[in-house]
Amino acid sequence: MKKLQDQHFYELLNVEFNASPLEISRAYKEHHELYREDSLASYSFFSKQEREEILAKLQDAYSTLMDEDKRYRYDRLLIERGILPEEMQFQAEHRALRRASPSTHFIRNPLLKITDELKAFISSNTVIQEILSYGVLSGKDLKRIRKELGISLEVIGEITKIRPMFLHAIEDDAFDIAPSRMFLRSYLKAYAQCIGLDANIVANRYLKRIDEQKIPHP
Amino acid sequence: MAHIWPIGGGKGGTGKSFLTGNVGIMLAKQGFKTLLIDADLGSPNLHTVIGRFYPERSLSDFFSKKVSDLEDVVLETPISNLFLISGASNKLDVANLAFEQKMRMLRAISRLDYDYILMDLSAGTSFNTIDFFTLSGSGVFVCCPEPTSIENLYRLILSVYIRKIHHLLKSPSFKDLTQKAESRNPDATTHKPEVLLHVLKEIDPEKAGRIERILQAFQFRLVINQLRQQDNPMIGNLICQIIEKYLCLNMQFMGNVSFDERVHDGLCRKAPFVERYLYSQVTLDLRSVARGIVNGNHEQTENSLSVSQT
Repeated sequence: MKKLQDQHFYELLNVEFNASPLEISRAYKEHHELYREDSLASYSFFSKQEREEILAKLQDAYSTLMDEDKRYRYDRLLIERGILPEEMQFQAEHRALRRASPSTHFIRNPLLKITDELKAFISSNTVIQEILSYGVLSGKDLKRIRKELGISLEVIGEITKIRPMFLHAIEDDAFDIAPSRMFLRSYLKAYAQCIGLDANIVANRYLKRIDEQKIPHP
Repeated sequence: MAHIWPIGGGKGGTGKSFLTGNVGIMLAKQGFKTLLIDADLGSPNLHTVIGRFYPERSLSDFFSKKVSDLEDVVLETPISNLFLISGASNKLDVANLAFEQKMRMLRAISRLDYDYILMDLSAGTSFNTIDFFTLSGSGVFVCCPEPTSIENLYRLILSVYIRKIHHLLKSPSFKDLTQKAESRNPDATTHKPEVLLHVLKEIDPEKAGRIERILQAFQFRLVINQLRQQDNPMIGNLICQIIEKYLCLNMQFMGNVSFDERVHDGLCRKAPFVERYLYSQVTLDLRSVARGIVNGNHEQTENSLSVSQT
């Protein structure tokens, strides 16, 4: 196990990097119960000084991760130090953006604010550019782009409000459960917008592939 | 091969013999051929817990080589499928066993043909107690939800941890390691044995890795006994979390056993509790502990009896 001073806040609280405030709060309560001064469970296991150090760090972790700005800055710090992988950057930004204003869910393109950076990344990424040079796009291609950007399907689902089942169907080319063509087009557009791609191009190329290959549905 | 479970817990009076005896009876009644060994050599009383009964042979006959085969000191009990190696008529000096004798005993135990072997160990952190844990690589710890009991539980587990490192390193290099670790952290051999491994990782990473793997292969279980209504039922889980987090030992919580005044009554009547109070909460709790022991089989077969490793 890592020493206390080497653990970052997510390790200390034993939560995922993308944990919600509710999960963080719950983890903090559990850990506080374990380490508090009069805790029976850890009685005699820690010295007074150790206990104080742990509690102080726990408090620090809680106040940092529960504050959107502080958490965003802390995430950036971890990414810069190489503790968290680079692709977490976009997740951190998505999260910061979602938290900054809850109403962003209802804005047509919630990622407009960060698309400059996102677009710069897309235009410099050779894998994505290669995929975008194809005349048609499959679900697998979309999935590869999404993976390159490090954006999870759950994030897209949360922002676009499209049911995960349909997002999976789009990426897996599973047309037996895909929605009707009209819905599919709008879902594709929302998906593309969400990850910073041109909505019409993506939707047209995806549907073109279906038409060319005469895939029966939708 | 039998599944061997040493049962201990730092403090006296936490219910080690009570749990061993009654869980043993339950396993026997479920049809498992079960052997109880009273390894509480200094103050044996497991025979009393399982019923009124005068043991005519005991463990010291094996140690004094009066009998050569451990099977010869196994006694039948009034309960079918349940067998006992008693310590009742042990010689008074048997409480201080040499390490070789314990090894001989454990080797003999591992050759016995039973489904389950439960060993009732003495309180405290004498080598007699902790060596059975270190040698078998498994164990059930019994603890009450009280500061004194929890304090002694941690002490026992830390002792087992240090003793195992000592066994694996042999004396001169262990001494060298403790000196280095203590210069880094004065508590290295008292409260912070994990420091020993941190230091060893710097000196000899390969050896440290091997020791860490052996320690992680330990199969430890925790039972909280005498849980009263006002107590926190999650305390066992929290203790396991600490052990797993700070010592990286595999410690699983097996369950709580409720406090019941009638345990005292059962003991005074020299009647096994689970037979006399079949429909009590304690019996239900003990049943789930017995279930935990049966379900723990699979894991133990892979890691059981690390006598050969030491």
